[in-house]
Amino acid sequence: MRPLTEEETKVMFEKLSKYIGDNIKLLVDRPDGSYCFRLHNERVYYMSEKILKLATNISRDKLVSVGTCFGKFTKSIKFRLHITALDFLAPYAKFKVWVKPGQEQSFLYGNHVLKSGLGRITENTMQYQGVVVYSMTDVPLGFGVAAKTTQECRRVDPMSIVVFHQADVGEFIRNEDTLT
Amino acid sequence: MQRLYVGGLSHTITQKDLKDRFGKFGQVEDVELRTRKDDEGVPYKTFSYININITDADLKKCMTVLNKSKWKGGTLQIETAKESFLHRLAEERQTAEQQRLLPPAAEDQKQKMLDSLSKAGVENFTMKAAVPGTEVPGHEDWVVSKFGRVLPVLQLKCQKGSRARTLKYDPSKYSHNIRKLDRPSADQSFSDLPTPVSQLTWELQGGDDDISKKRRGEFPAYEPPKRKKSRTDAVNSLKAEGKPRLKQSVDPVALTEAAQVTNGPKPPSAVRPAQRKGPPLTLSDIDSDDEIHRIVAVQSSSHNALQQEEDEDKLEVVGLDYLVTPGRARQQQKGGDEEENDYDSADTDELLASRKPPPPRSSSPPPQERPTLTAGNISGNNTDRKRKTKKKSKAGEEEDDSTDAEEPSTQKRRDAGKLSSQKQSKKKKVLPVVKPSSSESESDDEEEEEECESADSSSDSDYEAMFSNVTRLEISLADLQKLAEEFQDTSETTAPSSLSVSEQETKPPKKGTTPEEILAALMEDDSSEEEEEQQQSKKKKKKKRKADATTQLLPAFKGTKVLNEGSETEEGQKEEEEGEGTEVKKLKVDHKATSSKMNGQKHTETESSEDEEEEEEEPKKKEAVVKNMAEKAESVSSSSSDDEEEEEEQENKGKVFKTMAKKAQKESSSSSDEEEEEEEVLKANQTVLTSKAAAASSSSSSSEEDEDEILPAKAAVKAAPPPAPHSESSSSEEEEEEEKQAPLRVPLGAKEEEARQRKANIRRLAAVQQRQKETEENKKLIQGALANLDAPAAGAGKHIVFGSDDDDEEADSDDEQQTTSEIKTPKKTLFQDSQSETEAPGHKNTSTKEKLSGTHLFGSSEEEDADEEEDGSRFDIRPEFEGRAGHKLMALQSRFGKDERFKMDSRFLEQNEDKEEESEKKKSGTEEEEALEEERKKSLSILQSVLGISQHTSSSSKATSKAKTFRDVSALHYDPSREEHAAFETKTEETKKESKAARRKKREEAQKLPEVSKEIYYDVSGDLKAVFGQTKEEGEGEEDAVAVAVAEKEETNWDQEEEKKKEQEEAGEQVEQPTPESSLLSAEKEEASGFKFSFFGDDAETGSGETAEYKIESIQAPKLSWQQDPRFHDSSSDEEEEEEKGQEEEEKTQSTIIAKIEETPTKTGLFFFSPEDSRLTEGPKLFCRSSQLEEQKEQWEERRTELRQEYRKKHKDARRKLKTSVKS
Repeated sequence: MRPLTEEETKVMFEKLSKYIGDNIKLLVDRPDGSYCFRLHNERVYYMSEKILKLATNISRDKLVSVGTCFGKFTKSIKFRLHITALDFLAPYAKFKVWVKPGQEQSFLYGNHVLKSGLGRITENTMQYQGVVVYSMTDVPLGFGVAAKTTQECRRVDPMSIVVFHQADVGEFIRNEDTLT
Repeated sequence: MQRLYVGGLSHTITQKDLKDRFGKFGQVEDVELRTRKDDEGVPYKTFSYININITDADLKKCMTVLNKSKWKGGTLQIETAKESFLHRLAEERQTAEQQRLLPPAAEDQKQKMLDSLSKAGVENFTMKAAVPGTEVPGHEDWVVSKFGRVLPVLQLKCQKGSRARTLKYDPSKYSHNIRKLDRPSADQSFSDLPTPVSQLTWELQGGDDDISKKRRGEFPAYEPPKRKKSRTDAVNSLKAEGKPRLKQSVDPVALTEAAQVTNGPKPPSAVRPAQRKGPPLTLSDIDSDDEIHRIVAVQSSSHNALQQEEDEDKLEVVGLDYLVTPGRARQQQKGGDEEENDYDSADTDELLASRKPPPPRSSSPPPQERPTLTAGNISGNNTDRKRKTKKKSKAGEEEDDSTDAEEPSTQKRRDAGKLSSQKQSKKKKVLPVVKPSSSESESDDEEEEEECESADSSSDSDYEAMFSNVTRLEISLADLQKLAEEFQDTSETTAPSSLSVSEQETKPPKKGTTPEEILAALMEDDSSEEEEEQQQSKKKKKKKRKADATTQLLPAFKGTKVLNEGSETEEGQKEEEEGEGTEVKKLKVDHKATSSKMNGQKHTETESSEDEEEEEEEPKKKEAVVKNMAEKAESVSSSSSDDEEEEEEQENKGKVFKTMAKKAQKESSSSSDEEEEEEEVLKANQTVLTSKAAAASSSSSSSEEDEDEILPAKAAVKAAPPPAPHSESSSSEEEEEEEKQAPLRVPLGAKEEEARQRKANIRRLAAVQQRQKETEENKKLIQGALANLDAPAAGAGKHIVFGSDDDDEEADSDDEQQTTSEIKTPKKTLFQDSQSETEAPGHKNTSTKEKLSGTHLFGSSEEEDADEEEDGSRFDIRPEFEGRAGHKLMALQSRFGKDERFKMDSRFLEQNEDKEEESEKKKSGTEEEEALEEERKKSLSILQSVLGISQHTSSSSKATSKAKTFRDVSALHYDPSREEHAAFETKTEETKKESKAARRKKREEAQKLPEVSKEIYYDVSGDLKAVFGQTKEEGEGEEDAVAVAVAEKEETNWDQEEEKKKEQEEAGEQVEQPTPESSLLSAEKEEASGFKFSFFGDDAETGSGETAEYKIESIQAPKLSWQQDPRFHDSSSDEEEEEEKGQEEEEKTQSTIIAKIEETPTKTGLFFFSPEDSRLTEGPKLFCRSSQLEEQKEQWEERRTELRQEYRKKHKDARRKLKTSVKS
């Protein structure tokens, strides 16, 4: 477990900023204590200083997970967000998409959000903007990337994809063994 | 052979006679002689059938000769008869046999033809390798058709106009129209497998359709223009067809094209226009840009408006500042989207909760019901009045009485007086009166009520609607009556009249809305026995309530009612008998009695209403009632003449019972619809009343229709008690209803009832005794426990009571102690049958605990819950043992075991250890923190780089972005709790900052001044020191106070600037004044300094010397002198004090202002000011407190608490607002 290098931090922040913009600041600079990102097994964990201290007691090979896993770095040093980061993305998300109840399940099974299932969308969403997907009951279901802008979403035919699926809470069950 | 009928024969005739007689005409084959005989065997008719071989001529002759001829005392009547059936049967069989024997000609012919055809080379009507149109050799009218089939040439008759002609239909010429209907049964003969007509014709239907054409294989000619047509047209056509490409439509025109396109699985009709968004035509279809443009134009013109509307309906676009609040969304959904709601994977608990029916109404009906009920009530009253007045004159009088009595009650209802008696009376009124009206509406017989019916029925429907969803608690009148009876039982000495009165009187103080409360109200008056029973009933009720929560009625519950009825009907009828006997005797009494009856009925009605609210009764009460009834009956019989009033009362009772009995019966008879039943019952009650009144009137004089009926009815009552009420009521309009119910009523056998009652009574008594024993035991236990309680209480001083112990804690400990002394179990039992406490006030005095429990009397279950909670809390970690310190304390205490004497307190902890450890930890932690801090900074910087904006600018950029985003100012509300809205506040801070700066400037100036003066007056400061030094010597505390005061002044200045408006409140006038003055002073000083500069160039030392001189004097007149005396301006100097000045110079720095003041007088005294200058006298005062420091402190603290409260309140308000806004 080690702190992120500058490059890694940059990559990760770039990714995060797609979803929560400059709200990353709120993650880094928290009023309720000092929190930090740590890299372990190519995964980035977000934890409080307390937990960090506690985690130092565990050897590296034994440590499976600590704090909240935000995602992992791929071999090509790209950052991939995991669904576990949803707890931190959802409250700070800038752009959101609400999915109709009928499409909830489809999304939770890993499918993209179609226009027909799109219930609500934040205005001025740009294409390829990271969005957090909510159910109509405002329960965060996951996140993805807007395939169309808000304006385009109004026009497109119902079967076209509006949001590309990236992660959904269904992964907690589907990828139970790999999520840490 | 003929068969003849020969009638009119004499009885004595024989077959031979007949043979002989008819033998002349022909050969008689058989004679069948028949004789008809009546019951006694006497023949009255004889005839015969004769089979005779006879020619027609002979038959004629025979007929003419013999017919109507007299023969052996009879006139012959001869007719030809049908053949005997046997003969006919035989004949039929014979013919059948013959027919069977004959070979069918048609078949033969067919076969022949087939044979001939086969000879001609036709096999199975097919001729292979034959050209269509060739005739079959040997058969002119058979022709070879398509597929080599041999078909007949048809000669069709065609009627054209007047003349008919035949058309020859040669199948070979129309061969292309013929399709082969070949089946697997190709080898079968054509005749064997006739094709059904429906199958033959299906193909021809819908001939003009494109589809059918295609099916027939007739494809329309290739139409290049259709494809080559400009795309806009195509689009238009598509539009018209409802987008056939995207979805299947039923449009037949569209089908032609749509059929060729494989469609998505879209529902055809639902969202057709909306879903059409993308260009329906692939790019390859579109030939030119021009066409594309046109297409786009057409599409947009046609669809855009609609589309956008629908899109906006479907797709909601929200702003960036859309708040995500799961709770609210759910609420919204519940309100609106049902589909979503259905799907929504809410918690099952939630779903259950939402689907649950409204909670069972165990207590009194909600207050909203009352108005409607009253309305119904009033109308009902009216109807009642009308009906009754119509019926009887006397009854009318009584009705007036009753209505009078009713009206106050309704009024009571209105004034919402919450006396329980009134309430009960309300309830009485409400239920009985409303329900009868409904029943009235049902019964068609009534003429007069019809006007009121509508209103009644409406109210009733409302009422029923209200009650339809509510599980009803059914308690009959009988139950309440029983309660009352039991009360009477226990207090037998009291007159029965007092019952109703006392009950009603006693009830008022309590506001019984819940059944428990009502019960409590009842119980307080009643004896212990009754209370016990009620308690039992309560328990039962609770159980039943649970059971009945969802279901409306339980069969068992009805069963109890049945029991009740049985007993009560008996008793009531007995009562009735006797009561009526008395009635007949006394007319006057009857009048009163009827009125009192009304009261009684009301009472019962109240009870019934109560019952309905509460629950059904227990069998035990029933018995008590029965007993009471018996008593009453006795009393009635004995004191029929003695006490009029008593009698009346008892009569009332009797009547009440009657009604009750009726009710009970009816209820028992009720199949399922409880409400109706009750209505009917209530009506029955009323009718009973009227009938009673009628009875009274009948005895007096008035003659009405009912009278006659009533008298026999009474007789019937005496004869057969059970049906009596019905017979009575049957006199009135309810005949129909009564009749309906009559068959249903199956009163239990009287004997059975009695036996049951006895058994129940025995059981009850046993239970009562047991209960009493228990209560006594409980008492003892409690007493013992309390004695134990006292003992530890005496030594309570030795107990270590932890500081955190609240009252609750103490209670806890108390409880624990009690449990240790095994008081708990008795307590519980006490609560269970807590009536003992209420009944015996003396008992209450025995212990305070009991009093406590007495207050909770009927929340026994709650109490138990509380006990359980206590139990649970016992295992909680005590607050003093929580945390790290708590662990230590625990460890400490564990050394001493559980000995209470050594209970450890937080005082036993050594706190300095902790501190040391903490400090160590902090030391170690700081390094890490630093590292983290660095890391954070780093990451922030990276973040900045990532976001492309610096951290500070990010905030500013935020602000700018805010400015950019349009906001509706009118919709903007100032919310103090929101940080952003701080921008809307007019900030005092800026001024504060400015003032700070100003103050700093001032300070600097002030600091400068001494410097300036140092050059000139370095002695002056010394001289001041001397002054203060002296004062210090005299009272150091005072000087300190001065210094503090100065500091405080500064602070207050500060504060003032912060809170301009509160200035005057916060800081006293004394504080406030100095600020301007000081500024003034400073100005003066500046001036003075200016003068100094100008005037003294190098004479500083001399000046200092001078100042030294008068400072000595000021020492002589110590503190007061500079406060009040202008003497210190004198130039007399003392050298001694100067030494002290040097020592205390450092201390002086803080009181530079004072020094300034000191300086100014000196200067002014020297150069500009006369010693009498008023400013010199006033100035020093500014630096003195007018009030004591403590006072000021107190004031300030007071203010501070106030302010704090104020602030908190505001904060809270703001929070609440925020919450509400979020919720809404």
